[in-house]
Amino acid sequence: MTAPQVPHLARRLSSWLALLSMLGLGSVSVVVFAVFSSTLAARQQETMNQKRDALVHVLSDASVEHRNKSIGHTMDDFLAGHNDFFIRITDTEGHVLFDRRPPDIDPRQTLTRTFEVQVMADTGALQPAMATLTMDRRADDALLRVLALTLMFSMVAGSVILSLVGRWLVRRGLSPIQSLVTQTAGLSARDLHERLDERGLPQELLPLVRQFNALLDRLAGAYRQMESFNADVAHELNTPLATLISSSEVALRKPRPVAEMQEVLESNLEDLRRMAGIVNDMLFLSRADKGQIAERAEVTSLREIAHDVAEFYEAVILDADLHLDIVGDVRAAVDVSLIRRALSNLLSNATRYAERGSTIIIAIEPSWDGSSREAGAVISVTNTGEEIEQRHLKKLFDRFYRADESRQQAHQNHGLGLAIVQAIARMHGGSVHAESRQGRTTIGMEFPSALH
Amino acid sequence: MRLLLIEDEIRLAEYLRKGLAEEGYTVDVAHDGIDGLHLATQLDYDLLILDGMLPGIDGFAVLAALRQSRSTPVLMLTARTAVEDRVRGLQGGADDYLLKPFAFSELVARIQVLMRRRGTAQSSPEPTVLKIADLEVDLIRRKAIRAGTRLELTAKEFNLLALLLRRHGEVLSRTELASQVWDMNFDSETNVVEVAVRRLRMKVDQPFESPLIHTIRGMGYVLEDRSTS
Repeated sequence: MTAPQVPHLARRLSSWLALLSMLGLGSVSVVVFAVFSSTLAARQQETMNQKRDALVHVLSDASVEHRNKSIGHTMDDFLAGHNDFFIRITDTEGHVLFDRRPPDIDPRQTLTRTFEVQVMADTGALQPAMATLTMDRRADDALLRVLALTLMFSMVAGSVILSLVGRWLVRRGLSPIQSLVTQTAGLSARDLHERLDERGLPQELLPLVRQFNALLDRLAGAYRQMESFNADVAHELNTPLATLISSSEVALRKPRPVAEMQEVLESNLEDLRRMAGIVNDMLFLSRADKGQIAERAEVTSLREIAHDVAEFYEAVILDADLHLDIVGDVRAAVDVSLIRRALSNLLSNATRYAERGSTIIIAIEPSWDGSSREAGAVISVTNTGEEIEQRHLKKLFDRFYRADESRQQAHQNHGLGLAIVQAIARMHGGSVHAESRQGRTTIGMEFPSALH
Repeated sequence: MRLLLIEDEIRLAEYLRKGLAEEGYTVDVAHDGIDGLHLATQLDYDLLILDGMLPGIDGFAVLAALRQSRSTPVLMLTARTAVEDRVRGLQGGADDYLLKPFAFSELVARIQVLMRRRGTAQSSPEPTVLKIADLEVDLIRRKAIRAGTRLELTAKEFNLLALLLRRHGEVLSRTELASQVWDMNFDSETNVVEVAVRRLRMKVDQPFESPLIHTIRGMGYVLEDRSTS
């Protein structure tokens, strides 16, 4: 059982820094060492060349003072103060004329060169001989070793220091995140107006914090809506409950004829039905709130759906002396029963507020958002009648909102109809709209094509 | 007709038992899935009424277990109105489902439909002309005649009348009428059905002596001949 590897930002950054400083310092050290050692080698070659030339010159020098000296003497003078040079001279027959041997050194630590020289013989004439010049390189090697060690040490130490400093910097750089975590932990569902503080945050974190705060705004709005909705629900259910309780109590206070009892039960049943209706609608809304999506399986003519719903309202329309026109058509994939329900609620609203003798229009138009091959749709229902004030328009779709308490036809409408229209539009990925002017009120929904 | 009701709500089960007994059914009650399943597999019932949410072993599991050995018709009662539940129930072998809270008249109507569906195999085809008192409805020619006068009905009014007549004596709820006549399968908060029935009454009852369509307050409508002739 191993836990999945969660990347640790600070650790990751500091280890990268450590690795980078190792690599950087390492390569610098290697370059320094290489340059230094090749320069040293070149200098050694240079020195050898100089020594050889000097030796050739000294040995073939026929000046007076030289002639009076033996070779040994001359060589001793030549080598004076040069403890790291050794010379061996042999004549053509192999007799050693001069030999200052190097002590026992590993030949790898020396530089040797053999060349011809002219040696002044006892006769005063110059004769050819072979000279071997050897240079002891141990001092230079020791120097190189010290350099290598120094570079190694400074590389390791530098890396350690850099990664420690880097780690500290990373920690410091990431500290705003830590403070955000602390702040977020301090947010509670109780306190809806608290937001994350964006002062002193680096540029990179600002968008995140702003988005988060915007999300909190939306949540707070939803939460407040939910709270007021709960209060409304309690109120809406309390009213019929109060009636039910008191009417049942009064009925039971004394013996009553069956017919009277029956009437009480009948009226109670009506109230209960209404309550069941409210509860069912609320369940529907809560499922929509939870993000239930409409099943948009069937591609249907929206005009046909509108026609079916219009038939359902036939009696109401005839009764109120209204006319109904259906304009336009769009074929779209929708959840037929949901769209029927939404249209039914829209028509219910329109027939309730339409003037006698006026015409209700159901308009179905394609809406093109350009992002898909198929159009979405706008379905709106327009009625002629008393205008709805602007301040009410926005709240029209709120739950239990009634623009005018006196306008409600008491028992029929419990104020969830348009909220359900909005929920259905959202379940189709769309939205609702409402406008009211010049004596005409249009309420409708639009949703994008199902093909996205 | 012997029914088995599997329902964990004691009070609801008792009311249903009482109501169904008054409708002439013999009703056994089980309060949990295990007893219910035992009874259902041991005895012969004409119909099972099964609550979808039971403690211990839930309705869907009872249904699945029952279907291994028996094909008794099952009517499911579900509180959850989620579409998946209906689908689950119907796929699992339920013959019909009813959403809580339901009207008792609705339950009785569904039971009758299921019983009829069972009997249709050998029963005669439905008559095409329905009669009650002085009302006569010809389903083929789509004519309605009362006391020799032809009634001028719209298509939907005719369907509404035909449904009330076919199920005469049964109380039909607004929800059921909306579903059967207009194919609107949701509880609307509108008064559409009331208005439609009122308008139908103006044509079917008002011009004549005895009314046939009656309102049962809080429950729905019934078509029956209440004249004492």
